[in-house]
Amino acid sequence: MTPRKRLRAPLAILTVTGLALTAACSSGGDEGDGDGNGGGEGDALSSLSIMSPYFAAVPPEEDDPIDQALTELTGVDISVQWVPNTDYGERTNVVLAGDDIPDVMVMGKTPAFVQTAEAGGFWELTDYLNSGDYPNLVSENPEVQEATSVNGHVYGVYRSRDVIRHCIILRADWLANLGLEQPQTVEELYEVARAFTEDDPDGNGADDTYGFINPAWPGSIGSGSPYDALELWHGAGNVWLDDGGELVPSFTTDAWMEAVEYERDLVQNGYTNPDYATMDPATWNEPFLNGQGGIIIDVQSRAPQLVELFREQDPENAESYVALVGQPEGPHGTFAMPTSGYSNFLAIPRSSVETEEQLEQVLQVLNDMNSTEAQILLNNGIEGDNFTVEGEYAVYNEDRQDFTDQVSGAWAQLGTNVAGYNAYATQPATPYDEELAQLRLDLQAEDLENAVFNPAASLASETYQSSGTQLDTLISDARIQFIAGQIDEAGLQDVIDRWHSQGGDQVIAELNELYSELG
Amino acid sequence: MATLIEAEAVSGGADITPRPPNRRNVRETLVRYRWLLFLMLPGIIYFLLFRFWPMYGAQIAFRDYIPFLGIEGSQWVGWEHFETFFTNPDFPRLLRNTLILAALSLFIAFPLTIVMALLLNELRLNILKRTVQTLVYVPHFLSWTVVVSLTGLLFAVGNGPLWTLLNDVLGTDTNFLADPAWFRPLIVLQDVWKNTGWGTIIFLAALAGVDQEQYEAAIIDGAGRWQRVWHITLPSIRSTIIVLLILQTGQILNTGFEQIYLMSNALNRTVADVFDTYVYFVGIQQGSYSYATAVGLAKAIVGVILIFGTNWLAKRFNQQGIF
Repeated sequence: MTPRKRLRAPLAILTVTGLALTAACSSGGDEGDGDGNGGGEGDALSSLSIMSPYFAAVPPEEDDPIDQALTELTGVDISVQWVPNTDYGERTNVVLAGDDIPDVMVMGKTPAFVQTAEAGGFWELTDYLNSGDYPNLVSENPEVQEATSVNGHVYGVYRSRDVIRHCIILRADWLANLGLEQPQTVEELYEVARAFTEDDPDGNGADDTYGFINPAWPGSIGSGSPYDALELWHGAGNVWLDDGGELVPSFTTDAWMEAVEYERDLVQNGYTNPDYATMDPATWNEPFLNGQGGIIIDVQSRAPQLVELFREQDPENAESYVALVGQPEGPHGTFAMPTSGYSNFLAIPRSSVETEEQLEQVLQVLNDMNSTEAQILLNNGIEGDNFTVEGEYAVYNEDRQDFTDQVSGAWAQLGTNVAGYNAYATQPATPYDEELAQLRLDLQAEDLENAVFNPAASLASETYQSSGTQLDTLISDARIQFIAGQIDEAGLQDVIDRWHSQGGDQVIAELNELYSELG
Repeated sequence: MATLIEAEAVSGGADITPRPPNRRNVRETLVRYRWLLFLMLPGIIYFLLFRFWPMYGAQIAFRDYIPFLGIEGSQWVGWEHFETFFTNPDFPRLLRNTLILAALSLFIAFPLTIVMALLLNELRLNILKRTVQTLVYVPHFLSWTVVVSLTGLLFAVGNGPLWTLLNDVLGTDTNFLADPAWFRPLIVLQDVWKNTGWGTIIFLAALAGVDQEQYEAAIIDGAGRWQRVWHITLPSIRSTIIVLLILQTGQILNTGFEQIYLMSNALNRTVADVFDTYVYFVGIQQGSYSYATAVGLAKAIVGVILIFGTNWLAKRFNQQGIF
C-alpha cells in the first residue's frame, strides 16, 4: 500500500460522514414519513407509538405485562418511548424537529407547542371529541377542556388532575395550645399567624416560632404559590379578572394591592419565615416538623406527607400535629383557588398520523385506553400480580414493589381520565388516614363551588407567547421586593407601568379581542 | 528515515523542475506527516461534527424558527431579532451586570490565581507544596449546584455559621443570599474558592521552567525575596500571563450560567440578570429559540472582537500575542 492510498481511507470516511450529515439535515426539513405505522401512507395503523415522560427509577421494558395487556385490549401494538421527565421538554423539541415523530405525544401548552399547533403540526380534536363517538374521551369538566384549548381549538386529550388542591395546613397542636379555632377567613388566618409568632404556641417560653412558611417560589405569577392563593382569596381573580366583560390583569386590581399589603405585613411583622425569598422549596416541610413555623399554604397532598413524617418522629402523637383547613373566606367574598385541572395532554402530530381514518383509529385507541379496565392497568397494575382488590381499595403486593413503581411512575402518565377516574385508590393504612382522605374530598367539593377559573386560560396572545415569561417575572419579582420592603407602593406601581409599556398593553388588547370573539 | 530523506531530495528537486510549488508542497507535507495527520483525525472529526457543523444552525438567529417546520422551512426575518435585543429596555441592565461581573472576575479572581501560584512556588518543603496544591484543586471538581448548596447552608438565615458570624461582626440582620448588595461579593467569593486553585496549574508549569541560575545569581547579588519575585519570576512568566489574559477577555461575556442562575432570586435579580440567564429565560422557557440564538451570536461576536483586540494591544506593547 502506498502512502497516498493510506491517506485515502480516512479522507473517504470524512467525506462520507459529511455527506451523511448533509443528507440527515436536508431530510430534517421535509415532512416526516411517520414511523411504526406498519404500512404505507394512508393504511390503517397496526401499531401505535406514544412518547411519554416517566418518573420511575427505570422505565418499563417494551412488551412488559402492561404493554401486552394494553395491546390486547386495544387491538393495536402499543409501543411507548419513555423519556425521563426532567429531559422531556427538551426532547419534544428535538423530536418535533426530526422526522421520526411518534403517533401520540404528551405535550404541554408551551409557546413552542402553540406555535407548532398553529402551524398545523397537530390535529385539532375539538369536533372529534365533541362528536360523542368516543364516550371515554368526553370530558366531565368542560371548563378544563376549554382551558386546554388554544383560542378554542382543542389539540389534545388532557390528563385530568384534581381541580381543587389548595388548602391551609396548620400545626393542630399549636392551635390547641393557644385555644384557637381553625381559621375560616383571611383575617382569622392573619390572627393565627400573629399568635403562632407572638404567643409562644409551643409553650417553651422562648420566642422561636413564626406563622407562615413560604419558600422561594420557582414560578412567577399565577403558578399556584402561596402569594397567588392569598391574592385570589382577596378577590383579585385568577391571573386575569373578568371586570364587566373586559379582562384586566389581577395585579392591577385594588384587591391585589390589598393582598400584597397583607403579605407585606406578615413579613414585616415577622409572622413569616425570615428566609422566605431564598428557602429551597424542597425543604418546605422541615420548619413545620421542627416546630419553627406553623402555617403552610399548599396542595392538600402535603398534609398526609407531613403526617407520615411526624409518624417517623413521634409515632404516638403523630395524628395530633396536622390540621387541614379549606380555603378561607376573603374580605370581599369567598373565592377558591383551582388548579388548571390538567397536566399536559396527549396530542397527535399530523406528520405521523396522516389521514383522518388513521386519526379516528388513534382516537379509538385512546378511548379504549380510558376504559375502566385500561385505567386499572395504567394506575394499579395487574390484579392478582402486583395488587389485589379489597373492598373499593387496591392492596399492593410488597414483593412486586418494583413493578408497582413502574406502573405508578410511568404507565400512569398515559392515563387521561377525562371522563372520571375509575381505577382503585390505595387502601389507607390507618383509620386516621382514611378520615384525612375523606376530609380532602369534602373540602374539594366545598371549594369547587367557589372556584375562580382563569378566564384567559385558553387564550393565546401573540405578544404573551413571545415575552410572557419576562412580563410575568417582572411582576412576581416586584411583588417579593414590595413584601421585603425593598420598594414601596410607588416603586411597585412603577414596575406595573413598565409591564404595561413593555408589551403588557398589547397583551391586554390581544386577549380582550380574542375574549370578545370567543366569549 | 529513508522515506524522509527521499522526500527531502524530491522537494529539493522542485527548484530544478518548475511545477506549481504550492500544490507540490501540500502533497509532500501530506505524505510526510501522514501518521501525524492520521492521529489528528479524531480531533478534526470532533471539530467538524461538534464545532463547525452546529454553526449551520446559527442561521435560526435570522429566522422565526419553529422546530416542526425545520430550519429551512422557518420564515427568514433578517436582523429583526438583533434589533429587538439591542432596543430592549433590559439591554443596558444586562450589559452592566455582565460587565461588572466580568470585571470583578478579571481584576480579582485572575490576579489571585497568579498570587496563589507565586505563593505555592515559594514553598520550600516539597511535600507541603504538593499537598496544598492538591487540596486547592479539589473545589474545582465540585459542580456549581454543590457549591451553591454549600453557600446556602453556610448563609442560611437563623443557623448558617457564616450568616451568624457576619451578622454578629457587622451588627446587622441581613439575609446575604437575598440582598442585592451582597450578590456580587458572593459570586466572586464562590468563583475564587472554586477556581483559583485549578487556575494555578498553568502558572506553576511556567514557574517550573524559570532558570534557577538567575535566582542563584540574584541571591549572590543580594536580592531579597520580593526583589527576586518582581525582577525574575514575574518577567519570566509574563508571556503566560498575557496569553491567559487574552483568552480570559474572550470569555468576558460568558459569566457562567449555572452559578448565576442558581444564586439569583426575586430580590437580587436586578443585579443578577446577565446575558446567559436572559438567553435561558427567553430561549428555553419562552421557546423563542431564534431570539435567544441571536443574543448568543451577538455575544460570541463580541467575544471574538475582544480576543483580537487584546491580542492586538498585547502586540502593540511588544508582548507576544497568541496569534
